[in-house]
Amino acid sequence: MAEEHFVVIGNGPAGYEAAMTLKEKAPEAYVSVISRNRESCYRPHLLPDLIAGKIPEEALYVCPTGAYREKGVKLRTGQRVAELDLTQKRVILDHREIVGFSGLIIAAGGKPRIPETLLVFRDLMLTLKTLEDAKVWMEKLSRADSVLIMGGDLTSFAVTKALLKLNKKVAFLLDEEAFWPLRCDRTTLEEAAHRLTRRGVEVLLDRRLKSMARVSNRAYEVQLNGDRMSVGIIGAFFGLVPDVRFLVGSGLRIDRGILVNEYLNAGYEGVYATGDCAQIYHPEIRDYWVSIGYDNAVNLGRTAALNLLGGKIKAEAAGESIFEVQGIRVNTSWWMEF
Amino acid sequence: MDLTVEICGMSGDGTIAAGGILNEAMSKAGFWVLAFDSYPAEIRGFGRCVTLSRFGDEERVALSDKTHALISLDDKQSLSRIPLLAKEAVVLFDNKPPSYVDAAGSIAAHVEPDVRLFGMPFGDLAAAASGSTRGRNLTALGGFAALFQIPPEFFHGVIRKKFGAKGEKVLEANLKSFDAGYAHAREEFKTVKEGGGEFPPKEEEDRILISGNEAISRAALDAGLKLYFGYPITPATPIMEYLARELPKRGGKVVQMEDEIASIGAVLGSFFAGKRAMTATSGPGFALMTELITHGVMSETPAVILNAQRGGPATGLPTKTEQSDLHAAVFGGPGDSARIVIAPTNVPECYGFTLRSFQLAEKYQTPVIVLSDFFLNNRVENVRLPPISEQERGDWNVYPEENQKGRYRRYQMTDSGISPRAVPGTEGFLFSATGLEHSERGTPDYSPENHMNMTEKRHRKIHRALVDLPAPREFSPGGKMDVGVIAWGSTFGSALEAVDIARREGLKAGALKIAAIFPYHGEVIREFMDRCEEVLIPELNYEGQLANLIGHLHRKDVVRLNRTPGMPMPPSVILDKIRGMIEAV
Repeated sequence: MAEEHFVVIGNGPAGYEAAMTLKEKAPEAYVSVISRNRESCYRPHLLPDLIAGKIPEEALYVCPTGAYREKGVKLRTGQRVAELDLTQKRVILDHREIVGFSGLIIAAGGKPRIPETLLVFRDLMLTLKTLEDAKVWMEKLSRADSVLIMGGDLTSFAVTKALLKLNKKVAFLLDEEAFWPLRCDRTTLEEAAHRLTRRGVEVLLDRRLKSMARVSNRAYEVQLNGDRMSVGIIGAFFGLVPDVRFLVGSGLRIDRGILVNEYLNAGYEGVYATGDCAQIYHPEIRDYWVSIGYDNAVNLGRTAALNLLGGKIKAEAAGESIFEVQGIRVNTSWWMEF
Repeated sequence: MDLTVEICGMSGDGTIAAGGILNEAMSKAGFWVLAFDSYPAEIRGFGRCVTLSRFGDEERVALSDKTHALISLDDKQSLSRIPLLAKEAVVLFDNKPPSYVDAAGSIAAHVEPDVRLFGMPFGDLAAAASGSTRGRNLTALGGFAALFQIPPEFFHGVIRKKFGAKGEKVLEANLKSFDAGYAHAREEFKTVKEGGGEFPPKEEEDRILISGNEAISRAALDAGLKLYFGYPITPATPIMEYLARELPKRGGKVVQMEDEIASIGAVLGSFFAGKRAMTATSGPGFALMTELITHGVMSETPAVILNAQRGGPATGLPTKTEQSDLHAAVFGGPGDSARIVIAPTNVPECYGFTLRSFQLAEKYQTPVIVLSDFFLNNRVENVRLPPISEQERGDWNVYPEENQKGRYRRYQMTDSGISPRAVPGTEGFLFSATGLEHSERGTPDYSPENHMNMTEKRHRKIHRALVDLPAPREFSPGGKMDVGVIAWGSTFGSALEAVDIARREGLKAGALKIAAIFPYHGEVIREFMDRCEEVLIPELNYEGQLANLIGHLHRKDVVRLNRTPGMPMPPSVILDKIRGMIEAV
C-alpha cells in the first residue's frame, strides 16, 4: 500500500491543529503543511498585545518551527498554492511543483475585509491579520502619534487598547455598519461610543468618510462629512472574509468560503475545509455558518483531521452567546447572517 | 557583514560565470572576497557546479561551512546544498521552471521552515528582457543584488568588462537580464538585513581579485620566467593558459609538451642552460615526473614544479581538492633524493612562494616543488600584491669564480653543500652533468666513499636551505596551550578560523602555520609542540601525511584529523575537534 500523504493548506490555528492531530493519530502517514507565511503557527489574537509591547514575539508562537520536524510534520513556509487538481489529488504550488496527496485539509484562513466603498483607499490603510502586518504597525507607530480606527470588529477594540497603552491619540470612526457583520443596534453603538470616549478615544459617531489622502510619509488627511482631520495612521477593521480566491476553478463549491457539510467534507473524498475559510452546513438551520476565534479554529482543525482519518464527528457550531469586548457585551449571533 | 553565498546549478547553467561576476562586483563594492568553485570533471551537462563565496567587512581566511544565501539555478542539483544552509538562510530559486516538477525537483520541498524562500522566474524574466533565457544566471544575480541591497552599478561594471568584447548586442542582453532580476526583486521582495545597505565612496582600492592560479602565473612572469613547459591537467591548466597569453609578450615561450615527463625534462634543460623555466601539473602528472625530479636532485639542476594537488590516487577526483601528494612531493622517486618542498596557504603566498621558488632552485641547485591544492589554485581572493623589488626577482645562481677557470669542479665539496654552477658553454668551465653518481668533476664515480660523501653533500645543501624558506608562524598569545593546531596548505585558513573562535570561547588554543614542508623547521615546531598539551594536525588526506613527517617531534602522539571529501576542510570540524580534545584534557 502506498504511503499516505496528508496535506494541510494553511498554518494558522486550524491548520496546525489539523496537522498535529493527523500525525498523532496516523503516525505512519507523511504530513505536510503548506503555508504562505514564513512563521511557525502563532496566536493571531495576541498581535495587539505584541503591538502594545505587552508580550515579546516569542510569546505569540504555539511552538518553534523545529517542533514540526520533531513531531514528524513537514512544514513548508513561504509557499503558495496556485491551484488544486482534486480529481487527480494534486496540489499545484506557485513555483510549479506538484504535490500529490491522499487526504487534504484546507485551512487557508481569512483575510481582512475592506468594504467596497473603501477599496479605492486600500493602500492608505493598515489592517491587522498577520505578524507581518503587526510589524508594519509597530514600525509606523514608532513615527506616528495619532491613529484613526475605522470599522469595529473585535480586533479594532484590542488594537485601540494597545494604542492607548502606547499613549497614542486615537480617533474611532463608529457608525451603524462598523460592527459588520454583527447586528448593531443604536443602544450598543452608543454604549460603545460612551465607553471608548471614557477611555480617552475621540469617537466620531455617525460621520461618513468622504476621502483620504497621503500628504507625507507620516501624515494622512481624512475628510469626513463636515470635518477634516490629519492622522499618522489609518487602520481598517471590518472583519475577515475567507481567503479562498485561489480555489476558484478547483471544483470546490465556494460562496464566501468553501462550502462543507457538517463533517467539514468539501464534497470530494478525502478533502476537507476547516477554520475561517470554511462555510459549514448546519442541518438544523439548513444554512451555513462560519466561525471566528482561536478556540473555534483549533476545535475545527481537530475535527477535520479526525474525520479525514475516518471519523464521523459533527463540527460544533458556536452557540449563540454573549462575550465581552472592552467591557462591551457583544452578541455573537451575527454568524447567522450567513 | 560576513556573508557566504553559494550559486548552484548544472554545468551549462552559467553557474561559474555568475559566481565570477558576483565575486568581482562584491570586490568592487569594497568587501573582502574569498571564493571557490566546485564543478564536475566532465565538460557539460553531467554534473553539479557550485560557487562558494564569502564576503566580509574584514579579511576571511577560510570558507564558511554555513551558507547564508543560496542561488539555485537548478533545484535538483541544489538539494545537496541544503544541509549547509544557515538558520534563516535566503534561498533564491526559479519559481517558473520550464515544466512542472515533483518534490525531487523542487528545493522548496526540502528546505527547513526557517529558510527564507524567494522565488523568481529567472528564465521568464531573462527572456522578456533580452529575448533569450540564457541570461537567467544574471537575472538571478539581479535578484540577489536587490535583496541584499548591493547597488547594481557594481554589477554593471563587471558585466560590461566581461561581455563588452562580445559586442553590443550580447552586452545589452546581459545587462537587461540583470536589470530585470533586480527590478523584479525590488518590486516583489523586502530586502534582507544582511545586505550592504550603505556604500560610501571608497578611495581607490589597490586590492585585486585574483585566483591562486593567476597569482602563480603572475609570480612566474614577475620572476622573469623565460620558458614554460607543460601538459594540460586540472587544476593546473589555467596556469599554462595564462602564460600562453602573457609570456610571449615578455619574450618568453610556452610549449605544450607530449607529456609531463617531457615537460620536466625540458624545464631541467632550460635551467641547465641558465634560463628560468617552470612546469605545473597535478598528482598524475607529478607521478610521471618523479624519475626526472630525482635526476635534477642528482645532477643538482634547478627546476620549479608546481603541483596543484587534487583528489587521488591515479586520475582520482580531477576537480576536487585534497592534500594527499605530500609524501610524493617529499619522498617521491628512487634514492635519497631530498628536494625543497614549500606549500602556500593562501593566494598571496601562491604569488610570493612561486616568486621565491626560482631563487631557491637557483641557489640550491635542486628541484623546488610548490605544493598547492585545488582549493588554493581555484579560489579567488581580493588581495594586495605590492610591487616587487629587483632583489626579490634577482638571480640567485652561485657562479664559479673566474679563478676556477680551467680547473672547475662542478660538484666541488663545500661547507654549505652548494657547488658553484657554471652555465654550459662558458669558456674554461667545462663539466658534465649526469644522473649517475659522480665525482666533484662530474665524472661517474661509484666508489663507496664518494657516494656517501656526495649523498651527504646533497642533503647538507637542502637542510641549509632552511634559512631561506618561510618560517613557521604562530598565531597565539604565546605560552602554554591545551591544544596547538598545526596545519599546512589551504587547510591552514580553516585551522586559524577555528582557533580564533576557540580562543573567543575562552579555550587555550593556538595555531602554527607550516609552509616549509621539506626541509622543515624542526626546532621551531618542537618548541611550539612543547608548549601544547595536545597537538592536532588536520589534513585533507587519509594518511595524515604531515603528521607522519613531523609527528615524531612531539613527546607523544599527535592527534590526527583526516578527511577526504574533496572539499575544503570546514573550520567547524576543526573547532569541534579542539573542543572535544580540551574537554578530554
